[in-house]
Amino acid sequence: MKIPIHFILNGEEVSVEVEPNELLLNLLREKLGLTGPKYVCGIGECGACTVLLDGEPVLSCLTLAVDVDGHEVTTIEGLAKDNELTAVQKAFIEEAAVQCGYCTPGFIIMIDKLLKENPNPTEEEIREYIRGNLCRCTGYVNIVKAALKAAEELRKNTSLIKIKK
Amino acid sequence: MSSSEDPYALMEKWLKAKEFLVVGKGVRRADALEKAMGQARFVEDFYMPGHMLFIKQVLSTEPHARILGIDASKALEVPSVEGVFTAKDIPGENQVGYALPDQPLIAEGKVRFAGELVALVAAKDFDKAIEAAEKVKIMYDPLPYVLDPLEAMERKDILVHGEVGSNIAFRTKVRKGDIEEGFSKSDVIVENEYRTHHQDHVYLETEGALALPELGDRLTVISAGQYPHLVRAIVARVVGLPESNIKVIIPYMGGGFGGKDDEGPLVAAKAALIAKLTGKPSFLMYTRDESMLMHPKREATIIKYKSGASRDGKLQAIEVKIIHDTGAYSNRGPFILWRATVHASGPYRVPHAKVDGYCIYTNKVYQGSYRGFGNPSVQFAAEAQMDSLARKLGIDPVELRLKNLLRPGDLTITGQQLNESVGVADAVAKLAKVSEWSSKIKAYSSSNGRYRRGIGIGVAWHGISTSRGVPDWSNALVKIEKDGSVSVHTGIVEMGQGSPVSSHRQIASEILGAPLDVVTVDFGTTDAPDTGATHASRGTSIGAIGVYVAAAKLRERLNKLASELLGTSPDEIEIKDGKAYLRSNPEKYISWKELIKEAYSRGVEMSATGYFFLPKGKFNDEAGQGYAYPAFSYVAMVAEVEVDTYTGKVRVLRIWPALAAGRIINPTQVEGQVEGAAVQGMGYVLMEQFVFDNKGRILNPNLTDYVVPTALDAPEIMRPVYVEDIFKYGPFGAKGVGEMALIPAPAAIANAVSNALGVQVTKLPLTPENVYFLIKEKMGKKA
Amino acid sequence: MYYRIPEINYIYAMSLDEALELVEKLDDYRLLAGGTDLIIDMKIGRAKPKNVVDISRISDLKFIKDEGNYVRIGSLVTLQELVESPIIRGKAPVLSMAANEMASWQIRNMATVGGNLCNASPAADSAPPLMVLNAKLVLASKKGEREIPITQFFKGPRKTELRKDELLKEIVIPYEEGSGQYYIKLGRRNAFTLSVVSVAALVKVDDNRFSDVRIALNSVAPTPVRSRSVEGALKNKEVTYEAIKKASKEVLKDISPISDVRASAEYRREMSVALTKDALIGALKQLGIEVRGE
Repeated sequence: MKIPIHFILNGEEVSVEVEPNELLLNLLREKLGLTGPKYVCGIGECGACTVLLDGEPVLSCLTLAVDVDGHEVTTIEGLAKDNELTAVQKAFIEEAAVQCGYCTPGFIIMIDKLLKENPNPTEEEIREYIRGNLCRCTGYVNIVKAALKAAEELRKNTSLIKIKK
Repeated sequence: MSSSEDPYALMEKWLKAKEFLVVGKGVRRADALEKAMGQARFVEDFYMPGHMLFIKQVLSTEPHARILGIDASKALEVPSVEGVFTAKDIPGENQVGYALPDQPLIAEGKVRFAGELVALVAAKDFDKAIEAAEKVKIMYDPLPYVLDPLEAMERKDILVHGEVGSNIAFRTKVRKGDIEEGFSKSDVIVENEYRTHHQDHVYLETEGALALPELGDRLTVISAGQYPHLVRAIVARVVGLPESNIKVIIPYMGGGFGGKDDEGPLVAAKAALIAKLTGKPSFLMYTRDESMLMHPKREATIIKYKSGASRDGKLQAIEVKIIHDTGAYSNRGPFILWRATVHASGPYRVPHAKVDGYCIYTNKVYQGSYRGFGNPSVQFAAEAQMDSLARKLGIDPVELRLKNLLRPGDLTITGQQLNESVGVADAVAKLAKVSEWSSKIKAYSSSNGRYRRGIGIGVAWHGISTSRGVPDWSNALVKIEKDGSVSVHTGIVEMGQGSPVSSHRQIASEILGAPLDVVTVDFGTTDAPDTGATHASRGTSIGAIGVYVAAAKLRERLNKLASELLGTSPDEIEIKDGKAYLRSNPEKYISWKELIKEAYSRGVEMSATGYFFLPKGKFNDEAGQGYAYPAFSYVAMVAEVEVDTYTGKVRVLRIWPALAAGRIINPTQVEGQVEGAAVQGMGYVLMEQFVFDNKGRILNPNLTDYVVPTALDAPEIMRPVYVEDIFKYGPFGAKGVGEMALIPAPAAIANAVSNALGVQVTKLPLTPENVYFLIKEKMGKKA
Repeated sequence: MYYRIPEINYIYAMSLDEALELVEKLDDYRLLAGGTDLIIDMKIGRAKPKNVVDISRISDLKFIKDEGNYVRIGSLVTLQELVESPIIRGKAPVLSMAANEMASWQIRNMATVGGNLCNASPAADSAPPLMVLNAKLVLASKKGEREIPITQFFKGPRKTELRKDELLKEIVIPYEEGSGQYYIKLGRRNAFTLSVVSVAALVKVDDNRFSDVRIALNSVAPTPVRSRSVEGALKNKEVTYEAIKKASKEVLKDISPISDVRASAEYRREMSVALTKDALIGALKQLGIEVRGE
């Protein structure tokens, strides 16, 4: 039994038919070609499949595809607009926060969201916020550094805009 | 080959380099952009559902049983199922043992652990494959089984491998001097039994492979793996095709840590087998629970260790018995045991040593390669012994170590003289200073109350390359294309460590004088010459020599060509900043692009391989003496902890690492390795453990109950202390880093906990529960 | 990585009435709220429902209301909404503390408090705080509503008082003015992990005597439990470290832990005592009372 759903994916309208038992992650990866979100643990323990649902981070491996009907989904592929990287993506590259890269999309989605909510987080607040994302390569050191750096960059940019006004 | 292209001569020449363009700098990795954008492709990202077969594995539920029959009838009724395949379908050899020929790819006749592969099911739809796999019925005749290695050693009635006649799969030994004499000269003797446990790699990406059959009995396999040429060899053996018919590509990998060196070839062989049998593209991706049930683990060990020292703090003798629970198959167990055996002393001068190693079969998941390769466990034991000795002698633990650490000219316990590249004592002295060791150890030794702080040190060594005379080589193909861009082709894989995407580019750029951004590395491919594996910390050391030598050959040719064009001698040519010029007159130059154009028009070959064979000595297995490794990397770590004595919870507050690992090619990437390894080591010590049931089955093959550190568990990790003790057979003197920081982590953290509690820790892991009962047992209950 | 979720008949309800109608009609069903338990259960084969009734869109069950003496929480309130709610922080701080330590941010955005309770895991982290708050649960069906104390809700691992045709509508928390509340969770790592033991405490002190004491724990019995023995041992007693230390040992009478992959029964027993003591001291501290010993 196929169910037609319509939703906004990375800013564009998508209409697709899904099975009732189909997971959002499988829909994204296999039907829509967005392989940024990763399958790692399958049971909500790692954060590698994190996407934004109406702007809030959720786990796409525990979300039924039918449940995004009428909503807005953003994946890692949808963060960079017009090929302009986000401050978090830039900071991940500059601070060597990327090693194997499997956890990276999940972390970037999370930190991007954190900085929207809290433009000046402490190291402790960053660690608290990414506690549901596992990384086995970096020891989290450079991920936290990248988050701090991106926050600083964003604050600088915002203040510049303010001055212009 | 002209004499100017002799690899040893070229290595010697470039080892003398004093000033660098890009080496030693924190150059950014070439893959960071695509990874940060979510565009990097890993094995699973090549899967196209519906267009290829999906493979599901059927695993044994019994620890030891004869397979009476396999009933696939119900499975074959599931729509879209292509077939159910077992050992009898294998066209080539059903033999995948690395060290000993004891391991089938698919169980044949009997199963030896719960989790062993019994059958493969392939279907067009993944959920049908899974459904069908659940319907495959295996009829077992259960056999008695043995789980405890000490029991297994003694038993002759229960044999994991009947044909061996014993459960002892392999033995190793080292003999030096006369331990009786050594212990008689000792004023203090300490003797302890240590236990360490399994660890799962928990690479975020599980094992996967996609096999694509092509015309003419050729196969392309996109697979996990740490050594494409080994993956190819195993695939060829299983499917019965010549290696030259098989192409292996190892794309970006979501972590390896040794586990994919063992399991990579197996997952590839399974996918290739189905592709060969069906003629269809076939894809296999382990679920997390399959990965955790099946792939080899860090060895679980029992180590009995006796050490003696004289009153002045000089080590006199050690007697060590190392027992590795190798599980159902030996896999790389003999190699792992070998490494543990020759490293048993730690990086110390010990005049009299007797070390015996035993690799024991049991009916459990088998052990395998994991960052440190048998060394973290034995360094933990050796370093706990050092602390016990220090306590008995009344000497500060760092001081005791400094009295005994190896220095240039010293002999190891295998009698190998280390003449160069021995920077460990310098590193430890510097580490003690930066970590404020002396003041902290004094302050913490007398700590009491509920929360107690402690500080501990672990010092370790790690032999470079394969052990003994086992051949090791490097190679790569470097090409300068007509437009001046440079392609490097190597078998070294990219699994997060960054060697192909950072240090290889730096090495090629440095030697050629080509701008960094024109260098691209094609990694993890059998299209490159056999480079050896990406393991044993060799990605940027021996593994990169191929790039180093190939680039050096091209540089000789370029210097010669440029000197002819500019009317000077080759030695006068400098190449950098996009041009070749006269050292004495930079105004006289030719641009990089022009130079390459000239090379193509004048018949100068712009491609070269960089074959290098590592010179080695011999080890006498009978005598337990001889040459062990071309050199050693050294690492030390200080850890500071806080223990809640009411709950047993340990927090690692801070870690100070130190490396004597030769030239640091890329400090940023090295720090990444050190930080990651330290946290992986901390996870191993504090929280990671498997729970087995009474049939040897893993009860927690998932990330809910096999817990690994989160960002909130990770300690502060200080910038490493580097002592660049140059090694002649490494690119610019590099010895290797990847495994290093994990090796002393168990020792450093356990010794810090011991320091906090005033009790010597001898058993891992230090879970809150284990620490709580340790406190209760040794100190009496406080709460 | 691929799991097979059994084929399901997916039905969604837009209102409580629709949901009640469905659950009355359907036999083999499971409710889908946040999905963080049910989807996993379906992946690992612990749940194989024929029908899945998606109630996640029912907006009438997403509210946190301050009614003065009571706080009402709709069963579809997410854990993250609990964390962020000033009402909960102000009037039921122990629930806020517990929610703050639960799961990850992603999961808290999905998981609902009703789901956490109805899944009836012995390790449910929202249960101990609600138990010490004397929360009541409103269970609704086509036949009407009934209100039961949360202590009567859990019947065993994954078993609740809910009838087949009922669902959890809301949670009613009486406001306990002048109480000190505290929550401690012990897991195998610092965060985002199942409890080895968790303890919630609520105390009221009058004239330096315990006028009310409530303790609840999870992961140490087939269901989350209140420790009436500790409570009884402290009621009307003078607030001293010794009294707390002695009474904490009484917790052993109310728990029956098992050994599992997370911890041994023995460790859980010892930690129940230690954490009960810590939680009581922590709760007193919220009232400005410092108790020190050892």
